[in-house]
Amino acid sequence: MDVSQYLEIFLDETNEHLQSLNTQILNLEQNPEDSDTINEIFRAAHSLKGMAGTMGYKRMQNLTHDMENVFSEVRAGNIKVGPEMIDTLFQCLDALQEYTDNIKNSSDEGTNDNEPLIKLLNDFLNKKDSEPAPAAKAPAASGKAEDKASGASDKWNHIKYDDSQVKVIHEAIKSGMNVYGINVTVRESCILKAARAFLVLKAIEEKGGEIIVSDPSSQDIEDEKFDLDFTLIVIAECPIETIIKAAADVSEIDKVVGDALDIDKIHVEDDEVPDGGDAPAQETPAAETVKAGETSAQTAPAQPAAQPATAAPAPAAQAPAAKPAERKPGKPVVNRTIRVDIEKLDSLMNLVSELIIAKNSIVSASAESVAASGANTDFNEKIEYLESVTTNLHESVMKVRMVPIESTVQKFPRMIRDLNKKLGKKMELYMTGEDTELDRTVVDEIGDPLMHLLRNSADHGIESAVVRAQRGKPETGSIFLDAYQEGNNVIIEVRDDGNGIDVEAVKNKAVEKGVVTPEQAAVMADKDAINLLFHPGFSTAKEITDVSGRGVGLDVVKSKIEALSGEVSVKSVLGEGSTWTIRLPLTLAIIQTLMVVVGGEKYAISLGSIETIETIPRGDIKYVENREVINLRGQVLPLIRLCELIDVESKCPDDANLTVVIVKKGDKMAGIVVDELKGQQEIVIKSLGRYIKQVKFISGATILGDGEVALILDTNALL
Amino acid sequence: MELSNDLRNLPAGGDETKITKEIFQYIVIKLGEENFGIDINYIDNILRMQQITRVPKVPAYLKGVINLRGEVIPVMSLRLKMGLDEDVINRNTRIIILKIESEGSVGVIVDEVKEVIKLSEDQIESTTAEGAVPESRRFVSAVGKNGDELISILDIASISLDDN
Repeated sequence: MDVSQYLEIFLDETNEHLQSLNTQILNLEQNPEDSDTINEIFRAAHSLKGMAGTMGYKRMQNLTHDMENVFSEVRAGNIKVGPEMIDTLFQCLDALQEYTDNIKNSSDEGTNDNEPLIKLLNDFLNKKDSEPAPAAKAPAASGKAEDKASGASDKWNHIKYDDSQVKVIHEAIKSGMNVYGINVTVRESCILKAARAFLVLKAIEEKGGEIIVSDPSSQDIEDEKFDLDFTLIVIAECPIETIIKAAADVSEIDKVVGDALDIDKIHVEDDEVPDGGDAPAQETPAAETVKAGETSAQTAPAQPAAQPATAAPAPAAQAPAAKPAERKPGKPVVNRTIRVDIEKLDSLMNLVSELIIAKNSIVSASAESVAASGANTDFNEKIEYLESVTTNLHESVMKVRMVPIESTVQKFPRMIRDLNKKLGKKMELYMTGEDTELDRTVVDEIGDPLMHLLRNSADHGIESAVVRAQRGKPETGSIFLDAYQEGNNVIIEVRDDGNGIDVEAVKNKAVEKGVVTPEQAAVMADKDAINLLFHPGFSTAKEITDVSGRGVGLDVVKSKIEALSGEVSVKSVLGEGSTWTIRLPLTLAIIQTLMVVVGGEKYAISLGSIETIETIPRGDIKYVENREVINLRGQVLPLIRLCELIDVESKCPDDANLTVVIVKKGDKMAGIVVDELKGQQEIVIKSLGRYIKQVKFISGATILGDGEVALILDTNALL
Repeated sequence: MELSNDLRNLPAGGDETKITKEIFQYIVIKLGEENFGIDINYIDNILRMQQITRVPKVPAYLKGVINLRGEVIPVMSLRLKMGLDEDVINRNTRIIILKIESEGSVGVIVDEVKEVIKLSEDQIESTTAEGAVPESRRFVSAVGKNGDELISILDIASISLDDN
């Protein structure tokens, strides 16, 4: 069988399972008795084995098979989980990861049989045999057959109601009416099912019955979109026998079962399987009615045992509902997702970009025609509608491309655990905001820089337990990874309560490496000195470990994050710890901007970085160290004259007030002086191409509605 | 469209050449009084002069960027790149969009686009640079003889090389 077309799916899913195993085994280490975790691990190992087997990866299959065996025994309570077992399991995961990586690179799993690991696993199994505990093996797929065949006879108890329907039912009961649940089965040989069903509905209505709920819906019944049976909830005055008789009298109707509706079993949006759900299909309808304590006339011949067809098609709504009930409640297990090639999303995004450019050109054309021939409100309204649609479309496409950073950060707890052992330190990783979402391309790229920062914290930041004790800190160091959204940015912080950055050590090292002169170092502010860490080839580790300190370090982190249009900064207090902050834009392609004009040239400034817009009288400009500043509500901000920056003549008259755009980056702010404001515009970011790459404060270009190109000002580079 | 129009209006240049020899096609452009040839394989488009958005803080020969069918394309002045005088924009001025595999597209401003010519191998003589070459000859890789006219053939790869 040619399985190469499944390779990508296999790799994707294998990685997911390995991640899940890593997380669960870490969890198991904390709670060795947690049966949910053990089950989850067993399931993941089982899936892995199956997948590897299907793809023909024998070695991988063997290893997972033995892991699964161990877990089967753990699950049955025959083996206890111990630290050695956890270690072995982690080694197994590493081995599996190695297989996966090999497969990814060469479509071959490699030749490592991992015999020592398999032997270790088997040792666990053998140990068990010497223990007195009985080897009662739990069947792998217990209880699965049962929930599929839930009672076909009381389907009305599984119907989902909406609020209004429940209200109607309650009111009917209050006013003394009867509410019946009825299940009608059409004969298998019936050709015009919809017509028969219609006759049944009509017959019931003729007896004074009011059908308030039907499953499938009446529309679906009309369209013949049901298997062989359908369920109705009927309000009627007459006894149920009358209704059943009427329905059963319709020809080609096989069976009509009915009962007064048990009001307690009405559930609105409920995943729970009611008690009746466990009843096997073979149970007769009569037994069911007895259980409900009511007499019901079985006018139709009761022949359920001979009706496999009625038992098989359990209602669609019921089958998925039955599944979550056996697992942890409240945790969605079935994701309603599809896998889409990222290239398709890219091309979709490009099309949306084109659309926005086209929309912008219509907007600008309409503005011209309004100027020429007066306002046309009707046309304007339509254009506004178009604008809101394209903006929503863009947001939706963007959301489609967003994935939680969870997939990337999941591997970190395991990494820190390993570093604990390797570095001989005690530390714990705390993560928050794993569900923070970022563009898929960014999430893929952010893993390495984050890993580096975490390793950096573990290696350089956290002190050894002895030193920590001396400093009065808890023996176990803490590393925090916090992610959250702030406006148009996503912030990821890596924080530790370790040693902090020794500014003097950094300066000495910088001088030693020739990055700065001793004189420069002497007058350097602490903040600038810390930034030296991002200088290429800089490493302050006293000895080189294989964790960090190989010289490829923070400068790579920095360049990688800048390549994603983000930025990284660090704050540190010696002896108390450091905080590394990564700031990333939510989206890379389309942004809301403010268009400004300077010297006749148009520039776009991202709204995300704009704090306010101020009109400042020229007299308010003060000078600090020969640089222009303004005092804005008690805060002194540097002024940046955009015209000087881009070498053009300002076209503003000398005596006019200044129009100042106040921009911020983190807690830094500055005022940018422009000639004129042009208003807000949604723009598509285009690269300037490879010829023009040296301009620091220009992050790209965009095409305006009239076809003109405007440059995008990167205010972060100015601060 | 622009390209096809321009090409159609150009007089068919060059003599009838023998089929056995390898034939190269060049677009002949004018910078000042001199004729230059650009290998037609590099040419993506020929545009009339249009508004160029200036980019600050770049070398003078980089004139800025233009919008070509929704793409932002950098434009350079061939004159300035070759150390000649500043362009004088008139109705003959054209922007030739060159497509260079490794670097993407770039536009070059020329005084005039004259014609398309065919030159066979033996009509082309490569220039071997010896000693110091003036800026304007740095990008000339060969000289073609088209009848009485001499055409300096430009080495597109070296023009597009980033030397800032």
